[in-house]
Amino acid sequence: MTLTTDPPGLDEETSSSDDPRPRPPRTAEWLTPAGLGGGISKGLRGLFGTHAGTLDRIAIVVSAMLVVVAIFGPLLAPYDPYLAVPSDALLPPGAAHWMGTDDAGRDVLSRLLAGAGMTLLAAIAVVALSTLVGVVVACAAVLSPRGVDATIMRICDMFMALPSMVLALGIAAALGPSLGSVVLAMVIAMWPGTTRLVRGILRVSMNSAYVESARVNGIRRIPTLVRHVLPNSMDSVYVQASMEISGAVVLMAGLAFLGVGAPPPSADWGAMVAQGREYITTAWWVTTFPGLAITIAAIAFGLLGDALRVRLDPSLRRKR
Amino acid sequence: MATYIAKRLGLALLSVWGIITIVFFMTKLIPGDAARVAAGRTATAEQIAQARERLGLDLPVVEQYLVFLGRALRGDLGQSASTHQSVVSDLSATVPTTLQLVVVTMILTVIIAVPLGAVSAALRDRAPDVSARILFVLAGGVPVFWLAILFQWGFASTLGWLPISGANSFGMAPPPVTGFTLVDSLLAGSPPMFADSLSHLILPALALSAPFMSTIARNVRSNMIGALDSDYVSFAVSKGAGPYRVVLHHGLRSTMGSTLTLLGMQFGWMMGAALLVESVFALPGIGTYLNQAVLNQDTFAVLGCVLVIGVVFTVASLIVDVVQIWTDPRVRESHLTGARA
Amino acid sequence: MTDVPVLKITDLTVRVPAATRTDSGRGDLTLVDRVSLTIARGERVALVGESGSGKSMTAKAVLRLDPTVELSGSVRVAGQEVVGAPERRLRQLRGSTVSMVFQDPMTALNPVLTIGDQVAEPLVIRGVGRRTARRQAVEMLDRLGVPSAATRLGAYPHEFSGGMRQRVVMAAALIAGPQLLIADEPTTALDVRVQEQVLDLLEEQSRELGLAVLLITHDLAIVAGLAHRVAVMRHGRIVEDRPVDDLFRSPEHPYTRGLLASIPSVDADPDVRLQTVEDVMRADAAASVAPALLSDTLLEEARP
Repeated sequence: MTLTTDPPGLDEETSSSDDPRPRPPRTAEWLTPAGLGGGISKGLRGLFGTHAGTLDRIAIVVSAMLVVVAIFGPLLAPYDPYLAVPSDALLPPGAAHWMGTDDAGRDVLSRLLAGAGMTLLAAIAVVALSTLVGVVVACAAVLSPRGVDATIMRICDMFMALPSMVLALGIAAALGPSLGSVVLAMVIAMWPGTTRLVRGILRVSMNSAYVESARVNGIRRIPTLVRHVLPNSMDSVYVQASMEISGAVVLMAGLAFLGVGAPPPSADWGAMVAQGREYITTAWWVTTFPGLAITIAAIAFGLLGDALRVRLDPSLRRKR
Repeated sequence: MATYIAKRLGLALLSVWGIITIVFFMTKLIPGDAARVAAGRTATAEQIAQARERLGLDLPVVEQYLVFLGRALRGDLGQSASTHQSVVSDLSATVPTTLQLVVVTMILTVIIAVPLGAVSAALRDRAPDVSARILFVLAGGVPVFWLAILFQWGFASTLGWLPISGANSFGMAPPPVTGFTLVDSLLAGSPPMFADSLSHLILPALALSAPFMSTIARNVRSNMIGALDSDYVSFAVSKGAGPYRVVLHHGLRSTMGSTLTLLGMQFGWMMGAALLVESVFALPGIGTYLNQAVLNQDTFAVLGCVLVIGVVFTVASLIVDVVQIWTDPRVRESHLTGARA
Repeated sequence: MTDVPVLKITDLTVRVPAATRTDSGRGDLTLVDRVSLTIARGERVALVGESGSGKSMTAKAVLRLDPTVELSGSVRVAGQEVVGAPERRLRQLRGSTVSMVFQDPMTALNPVLTIGDQVAEPLVIRGVGRRTARRQAVEMLDRLGVPSAATRLGAYPHEFSGGMRQRVVMAAALIAGPQLLIADEPTTALDVRVQEQVLDLLEEQSRELGLAVLLITHDLAIVAGLAHRVAVMRHGRIVEDRPVDDLFRSPEHPYTRGLLASIPSVDADPDVRLQTVEDVMRADAAASVAPALLSDTLLEEARP
């Protein structure tokens, strides 16, 4: 479950395919999880009205910048992010160190740049992987006989019965402290949600008129799914994925904060917040800047997801 | 109605079984030798073998699973390697603290976010709405642990308005009866203890609630807008209803159904995020316990926590479902007319 | 007092200001153009026209239900001016002096509130005690033919059929004893059998209670048995306003003639093409019937 978007459960496929539990009334918005909570910027979007395009552009630009920083971060860093310089410990932000230094004398800005990769790219990787798994499993479920489909959904339910943070924490702990284990843990925590969602989308499409006419014309189900339904549904999948990035960033930071993930002296933003914690009263910058970075990333990707959603869903397109 | 509850109960039990199974497989993921870890670092080969036998690790996997299942159902989750006490007893001391935090947070969220969303909808696109919506966006993206640290620094450390950490000030802890400090202090008949417990909960609850307030407020706002634009509100206005009646009597009633559902779903997330906040404020809840267990590589404790949290969440979801059926007539209707395929 | 008409609309114009338009047009959009209409006590007047003719906007203007449009001219309800009146005064009028019945009874009722609650609402708003309000609600529902009204006060809208729901809506509209009831397409969402029941009900209540009715509809056929007078609207203007029999027997305006002629008849020759309103108007223009009544635009449109 993601922080900034609603859990992928407020549409008709929440906890079981045949769940008698009724859904709250759907709004006209197509992607109900985002619709009900509104995505981060639904409110902002209406707010800006004709300037909604500006908001989208800001979101895209900031997100792109973040990705660039994530990839090239270490190269851009003015100082070595990992080299301890005890004599420079806890310097306040100034000309030499724009964001000050931490308790080991390392430049905070450099560490932020270095850690961007770990936090952001890892989060993107997690989402990409879990989406991939989700799509594959969802396709399998849709094409399988009822019993298999139901079983797969039950398995998803079981995983979703555990809050994702807890599940990820448990798995990551069991696997040992490393970036890989965190990524794996998060993928395991997130795939059921994606699966449910994709399956819901696919099911609706598979039951629609154009698929029926294809079948009547003798086209078999698997090719139909792969060549027609799937590409049509990918838009919604992309939107959901981009929104999940926001949540994944925060989740990963949270896990890092708790000490799970790449071991110190990792520059993972969550870990940085944890490291700087004890100095908050004397050196606020050590913990504040990483936290700010996480916040900005979460908001930017969330707005990005929202921008995508509006662009890709024609029914939501409003006049600019 | 009864059949529905029975069905949901069945589903819930299935979920619990599923959780137990998942957790079991997680124990098998641990690299290295669990027996060795249990026996301790300085153990001899004999002691390790004994540990293996004691833990039942020499049995085939299926048998291990059944043993695990049996133990779990009987309430035996093994022993914590760090506290050397049964995991269950550790947890029974810590679970109430976390639950209390989550419940207080939820109440806080509802009290603040629902009116905020409603007012935002009623004053659509005017200044208060606009600023509220910006606030929602910001609150939605902030990581709770960072917010917790900032609150701790700002309100507790710098301004000194509220306590920095812990569940109670020194000497103010009520005798533990239920484990919920608020309840216990009431049971002990001590208002100062109650006030003290409460004051220790305010900052953690506020920090924890931020992203949830954002979600709930946005949800209330969008539902309320839907209600305000509806025909039945027009009809009510044509009967002479004023804005207060429209928003409070018609609007809120309409939106509460889906808001409740949303709250119920957020419960699980909140429990997860509570771990982070507990860690910052040093509250003796599952979060702190779990965090310690993770750092000490105390696997039984970790997995016991996961299990318990999962069960708690399942129970909470069940309760939310039943409450929703009970309160929202639309929902009652659709399931009673056999929405089950 | 009794001579004051229940409703007196004079030169009412309803406009959507340019700034708030959501479509692609420019400038102010005039929905209702200098409309005048008078309804006396107990009189039943039908306001007829196609979709978009402005009839619903006129009706809503009486209660000022739509806050987004600009009103100019005069609308007097039982002598009290509505245009420009403060909201509080309007709230007093709504429900007790004038009330409205909407087109779709399902959406007009709040699904999470009981029908008892919604029927008694006009009374409760005015401070009537709960028990009294309940009693009156039961009485009203009984009058309107809702079976076992007393026991069903706690029921929810979805438990009722369409026709019953419309009765519930009417009960709510009539409970505070209004002088004028505005019925906006009250039968459009219902099937034919039920339509007749509702119309009969409307007529009966009007007679018994001395209630004036403004019936908004696009269906001329249902007007005949119910209305005393008929006003025909087109493009925001009233083109004809006559007693019902006169209108049906000898319509003056080409548009009215078109409307009447286009009503399919059971007895008509099946081989003759059904006439559209435009067909008839064109024929009239060609025959130069009542050229004085044809505005330039009408003449333009009517040209083949």
